[in-house]
Amino acid sequence: MKLRRIALIAVVVAAIGALFAFGLLRGNPDDRNITSNLIGKPAPTFALPLYERYWPDYGETFSLQAHVGRPLVINFWASWCLPCYEEAPVLQQAWQTYGPQGVQFVGIQTQDRDKRDEGRTFIARFNLGFPNVLDNDSLVGVDWALYGVPETFFVDASGKVVAKHIGPVTAAVLDQQLGALLR
Amino acid sequence: MRRVATLTRALLAAAALALATLAGAQDVTAAPSVQIGSRAFDISRNLRCPVCTSESVADSSAEIAQQMRSLIQEKIDEGLSDAQIYAFFQARYGDWILLDPPKRGVHLLVWLLPVLVGATAIVVVVGMTRRWLAAAAKAEPANPADLERVRAALADAAANPDQRDTGDATGEDG
Repeated sequence: MKLRRIALIAVVVAAIGALFAFGLLRGNPDDRNITSNLIGKPAPTFALPLYERYWPDYGETFSLQAHVGRPLVINFWASWCLPCYEEAPVLQQAWQTYGPQGVQFVGIQTQDRDKRDEGRTFIARFNLGFPNVLDNDSLVGVDWALYGVPETFFVDASGKVVAKHIGPVTAAVLDQQLGALLR
Repeated sequence: MRRVATLTRALLAAAALALATLAGAQDVTAAPSVQIGSRAFDISRNLRCPVCTSESVADSSAEIAQQMRSLIQEKIDEGLSDAQIYAFFQARYGDWILLDPPKRGVHLLVWLLPVLVGATAIVVVVGMTRRWLAAAAKAEPANPADLERVRAALADAAANPDQRDTGDATGEDG
């Protein structure tokens, strides 16, 4: 009888201990490096106003739908976001390399309500040649399930989201993803 | 002299009023208010703010949280049910966006375990109480010899109240 009681207590303690260990080992529950729900799904479409400098080449509005059929790089940024300043020259460099190969880049300024002047300054600072739009109400960001900025999505020629990169994108990531998309 | 004091007081009051007005105006510009109803508030309380740490959409002042609150209100105005609105965000962010885990799969454990633990606790308490009551009911009858000794002692004490042994009960009579 006493042995049974000890065994029962041991089982309960082991169960609570296992639950505790699971809680400790499962990592930070707020870890944002979560696989996007969008991977493998059609890219959410949008039509957003372009900054003036892109009007001669793209018109006043950039519609994603109009560019499906070629690999796409969709980069979300904000004028207050320091890592965005880090990645902007990398993106511009990649645009110069991959743009002529048929890849369309688009920058989306988001979580940056009414910061048009700041957006223009950011674009001018890095002389961004690829089109940039303003998601003033951040709703496109919600459609793309954004966790923060910067985030970069890769869309294949069929219009399907194939990859997402959280944080400042590097030349290595761009080469790897675009190499796969252009293959 | 009195006029100078009155003028100073008036100037101070005007300055305080101007400061208060300015402070109020700054509040308004710092946090553009999003008017949402209680249903939208309840839904936003169950959604995780994507750019925050452990904060709901209802609690956060982040811009994306404000936009999500107004988006929820828009969806309500369009006639969507709560489940449809949660599904809208789930389709984009996955289950991660829900602060209340969904009642399916491994998440079911979160809902079932407290109920199971509570039910087990009730069963254990009821079982132990019944065992204690049964043990009390089965109390052995007193030894007749012991009973006789107690009765004799009581009778003796009643017959000789002045000879009570108060050695261990200091102050009993006080």
